[in-house]
This record gives sequence, C-alpha cells and structure tokens, in this order.
Amino acid sequence: MTDAPSTIAERSADMLARATPTTIAVRVRGLSDRAIAWLFITPTIALLLAINIFPLIWAVYLSFTNFRANRPNAEVEGVGLRNYQRVLNDPDIWIAMQTTAHFVFWTILLQMIIGFALAYLIDRKFRGHAFWTTVILIPMMLSPAVVGNFWRFLYQPQIGLFNYIVSFFTGIPPSSFEMLGSVTLAPWAIIIVDTWMWAPYVMLICLAGLRSIPDYIYEAAEVDRASAWRQFWSITVPMALPFIMLAVLFRGIENFKMFDMVMLLTGGGPGSTTEVASITLKREAFESWLTGRSSAFAIILFVAVFGLANIYVKALNKVKQR
Amino acid sequence: MSEVVLHRIGKTFGDTVAVEDLSLTIRDGEFVVLLGPTGAGKTTSLRLIAGLERPDCGRVTIAGRDVGRQSPAERDVAFVFQQYSLYPHLSVYDNLAFPLRSPARRLNSDEIDRRVREVARMVRIEHKLQSRSTRLSGGEMQRVAIGRALVRRPAIYLMDEPLSSLDAKLRAELRLELKRIQKELGSTLLYVTHDQVEAMTMADRIGILSEGRLVQIGTPREIYADPANLHVAARLGQPHINLLPTDLLPGAAPPSGASAIGARTEHLEIATDAQGNAEVDWIEHLGDQNHLHIRVRGHKLVTLADPYLSIKPGDRINLTLRQPLYFGSDGERLR
Ligand SMILES: Nc1ncnc2c1ncn2[C@@H]1O[C@H](COP(=O)(O)OP(=O)(O)OP(=O)(O)O)[C@@H](O)[C@H]1O
Ligand SMILES: [Mg+2]
Repeated sequence: MTDAPSTIAERSADMLARATPTTIAVRVRGLSDRAIAWLFITPTIALLLAINIFPLIWAVYLSFTNFRANRPNAEVEGVGLRNYQRVLNDPDIWIAMQTTAHFVFWTILLQMIIGFALAYLIDRKFRGHAFWTTVILIPMMLSPAVVGNFWRFLYQPQIGLFNYIVSFFTGIPPSSFEMLGSVTLAPWAIIIVDTWMWAPYVMLICLAGLRSIPDYIYEAAEVDRASAWRQFWSITVPMALPFIMLAVLFRGIENFKMFDMVMLLTGGGPGSTTEVASITLKREAFESWLTGRSSAFAIILFVAVFGLANIYVKALNKVKQR
Repeated sequence: MSEVVLHRIGKTFGDTVAVEDLSLTIRDGEFVVLLGPTGAGKTTSLRLIAGLERPDCGRVTIAGRDVGRQSPAERDVAFVFQQYSLYPHLSVYDNLAFPLRSPARRLNSDEIDRRVREVARMVRIEHKLQSRSTRLSGGEMQRVAIGRALVRRPAIYLMDEPLSSLDAKLRAELRLELKRIQKELGSTLLYVTHDQVEAMTMADRIGILSEGRLVQIGTPREIYADPANLHVAARLGQPHINLLPTDLLPGAAPPSGASAIGARTEHLEIATDAQGNAEVDWIEHLGDQNHLHIRVRGHKLVTLADPYLSIKPGDRINLTLRQPLYFGSDGERLR
C-alpha cells in the first residue's frame, strides 16, 4: 500500500520529464549549473557593491584625506593618520562615547527585563494571548519619526499625558518637570521611548526561545519535584539563553548607532547631555563639514561595533554548543 | 513503597476515548506490565497516575491517599518518558542528580554523588557521566532517562516503553537488570510496552489494554495459557496463534457455539506421514528453531518446529490438535 503513491509520483515525474519541450532542455543544457548560479546572483552582488561596499571603501579613503564636502573643488591632500589621531584625542568624542555606552547599557537592560517578562507571561497561553501579542507588537511596527513626534507630545509639561500620569502617581505637579528639557531627565526620556518601542521586539525573540522548550521537559521536572522557581532557573533561562543573547546582540548593535530617536526628541541636548556618537558624527560631517575627520570617526565606530559583535558571537556560539 | 489503585478512570481527548473505565490495582512491590498496541492508551494511563493528566472521571489513590487534587510533585512518582526528555543543557551526571537536588529531599552532595554513580553503573552509562546529554545516542539517552528515575525511591516507578530504542542484546540485559533492581528494592513498578517478550519475562502481572480498556489482567502464565478472548490470545505467542475453522483438524472437541479454534505450537502435534492431512509450504530457519509454514485445505498455519526434524518443503505431514483454545463468534473464549 505504501509503495503505490511513490510509484505514481515516480511515473508522473517521468512523464513530465518526457513532456518538457526539447528546445528548453537544450537551451538550459547549454549553460552549466555554475553559470546559471552566477546569472542569478550577479544583480544582487552588483547592487551590494554599489550601495554598501563602494561607499565603505570610499569612506576609508576619505578618512586619510582633508576632504571637505562643502568645498568639492578644493585640492584633496592625503594627511595620513592625522584624522584618526584627532578623533581619538578629542575629549568631546570620548564624552559622546560614554553617553552612548550609558544608553546602550540601560536600554538593553530594561528591554531585556521587560521583553523577557512579557514573553514569559504570553507563553502561559492564557485566553486571548494571540490578541495581546499583536497589541504589544504595535510600537515596534511604527516608524521612528512617528514615535519621536508622538512622544514629544506625551512629554509636553503642560498638556502631555506622561507628565500627567507621573503626577497622578507621585503628586509632583505635572508642569514642574520637563522630561526633554532637563539635563538629568533627558537621557531617561530617550531610554524610556526606546524601551517602549523595542521591548516588544525583544519579547518576540524571547518568545521564540520559550516556545522552543518542549513541554515534556517541564513535565519531567515537575515529576522530579522541581519547584516553579527551580524550573525557571534550571530549565527556562538556560534553554532560552541563546535567544536572549541574540536579542542583546541585535539591540546592542542597533542602539550603538541610535540616531533618529535622539535627533527627533532632543537633537542631542540639552547642552550635549544626550549627544550620542552618531549625533556627534553627524555634527562633524554636516555642520563642521570635516568630511575626512568624520569618516575616520565612522570607521572607528564601525571597527568597534564589528569587533565587539564578533567577540559576542563567539560567546553566543559557545553557549549554544553547551 | 505503596499500593496504587485506579478506580473506574476515564479520559477523553475531544472525540478520542484514550482510557475508558479503567480499574487496576498495583500491589505494593509488584511489577505490573501494561501491554497493548499503539494508541491503546498506555501512555495516557501512566500520565493519569503521575498527575500530568486529569481524569474525566474515576479516582486514583497512592498508598491509600486520594491523589486527585495533588500535583505530580506531591504524588511522589518517578516517570520514564517515551521520548527520553532529558534536560538538554545538562550533563549526564547533572541529569541523574537533578531529582536528588530537590530541596525537599535535603541530601548532601556526597550522598547524591554516591547514588548517581551507583545508578550510572546499573544502566551502564558511567563512562559518559560528563557528556552533554544532547551528545548521546538514542539508546544512551534512554538509559539516562531510566537512571534518572532509578536514583529516586518513589511510591511508584512509571516507565513508558523505556527499552524500545535499545539493540536486542542491551535490551535483554537491561530487562534482567531492571527486574533484578525492582526485586532487590521491592519497588512498585508500572511498565508499559508493546513487546510481549518484555511483558512475559519481567511482569508479576500483565494487563492487556485495547482501545482504552483493560481486557484482562493476570500472571504471564494465566494470560498466555488462559486468554479471555481472541484479542488477548493474539497478543501473546511467537509465532502468532493460528485461527482455524472448528472442523479443519482432528483432535478438537469444540463446545457448542464455538466458531473458531486457536492453535499455538503447543496445541499442534506433528507426525511425518506421506498420507497426512497437511503439506509443508516452506521453512524459516531462525537458528535455534524453525518456523514451519503449513497448508491444510487452503488454510495456512505457522508453528515452531525442532530444527532437527527431517522435513522439507513439499513434504506431507499429519497434524492433530491437542487441547486447543475455542472462541465464540464474538471473539470471547469458550471453555
Ligand atoms: N494530548 C492528547 N490530545 C489528543 N489526543 C490524545 C492526546 N494524548 C493521547 N491522545 C489520543 O489518545 C489515544 C491513546 O494515546 P496514548 O498515547 O495513551 O497511546 P499509547 O498506548 O501510549 O500508544 P503508543 O504505543 O503509540 O505510545 C490515542 O488515540 C491518541 O491519539
Ligand atoms: Mg505511548
């Protein structure tokens, strides 16, 4: 009985092969598999070269020159490593790096805790969990421009909902503090928005991790008299860890480059309290027009992220192989 | 150690009746095997006892206490799952130690170490103690799963086809080992399988499950020699029991209402006779014994034969029945 379908399948494949017009067969036969493969990937490679690789190489070249984009006709001179020296000796840039590190640390920490907690709750499969998953994912699907403007509105001291809610719970008058205008609060204003927007993304990845743990592992643990607390720490966390680490990696790389949200909310201010590396970079490149120097800075940032990410991926692989 | 009683348990999944009106008593220190084909409700029965599934009706008691409202942890059972279910991120050692590290048990690490090593030796896995459990072969995983149950001293061990993915030799060894351990510890054990050899060799009593119902329960001898119906008779015996019309062979004394005769090897007498009533079709050589395929007037029979019996395909033989089993038209045994 089990042979019958396979013979039918074989027979129909055979019939199809016979029915294929010989002209196509011959024409296809004229190209080797390798040639066909190249034919398919050439457009992609060309696009990749034009859009990604070429600008990168061009930026590397510019980083060794004194080129300024606002004076395209001036003579371009090679300056060796001077741009790199300047960048690395610039105290402002180090402050921007610290600001960035601060942002990356807190956004990741908060997003991981909130994202994982949400995933853990959703994974309980209560009634309507599919609906709530969709609702939770909405912020992530919005455009950063929309989110930025939306939150600027919420942070309004006089009419903003955020200030109103805070005052409702704490009793502090709503117009007595300005989230975006205060030196101490502005960094947190941005961290809150970024967390609001991206915790759902972390939740999604963590949920995939939690769903990958088969029920029978928990059943075995239950029979082995492991408490819920012990099941969480000795099964849930270690088995979801590769996913959690992946989420950290994605969010880390993204937030290292964080630009749009900061630009929209504070533009780096007040003063330079929220000036992350990408804002400094933009200032150097398009306000001071130090194209060569900003290219050097961009390359340094790239190498830093790339190096850190690589070390991290090694660690991730080790965890996965355990 | 303690007696486990199932009283009129029923469990359905949607339209599927997994277990129906199941009553079963596993006495203290007894080794009971549930034997049944795939889908008979064996796994479901174990899960109901363990508390991983709630019965629709009926009562489960362990050592006299009604466990209906208790969680699996409170019931104090050990379970060997059909699909191994090892903790994949832990080593073999940590898998075996996991149940012992429960804070409720308060064992010190020397005691845990001693128990883990002892059990690892029993299930022949001591050379892999430091391996990650995902790096094991299927058979090794299954042995770790058995070991993880054996480190404990629960009220009852529940084992779901624990030897199914082992090779024949190891299976035979572990079969004996398991039986020995169970006897030594005097533990209560409910074991599920569809392998009749495992059931016959290990069980104090065998329960035959069919479509969620317990058809018959008794000692291996009772189940084999005195089956309640055709279904039970067909589950035991190698080669399978032959079903024949009542008037096919001489030597039968069918009671009234009998519609079929069940004849195993021990119910058939063979004599070489050129004028015999049967013809040898072919002979399967299994080494220590032969399967004799015989034809009698269009009916086929299979029986065991002495490998030194000098007959060959095409020979005629004389077959006589000797106290065979009789079945009514509904499949029930007639005595
Ligand atoms: N969680 C479930 N949901 C729906 N149906 C189920 C579930 N568990 C078991 N069943 C059904 O109940 C019946 C008995 O299943 P069970 O797993 O107890 O069989 P089994 O005797 O263990 O079979 P096997 O030898 O294949 O393991 C089957 O028809 C099965 O499809
Ligand atoms: Mg099963």
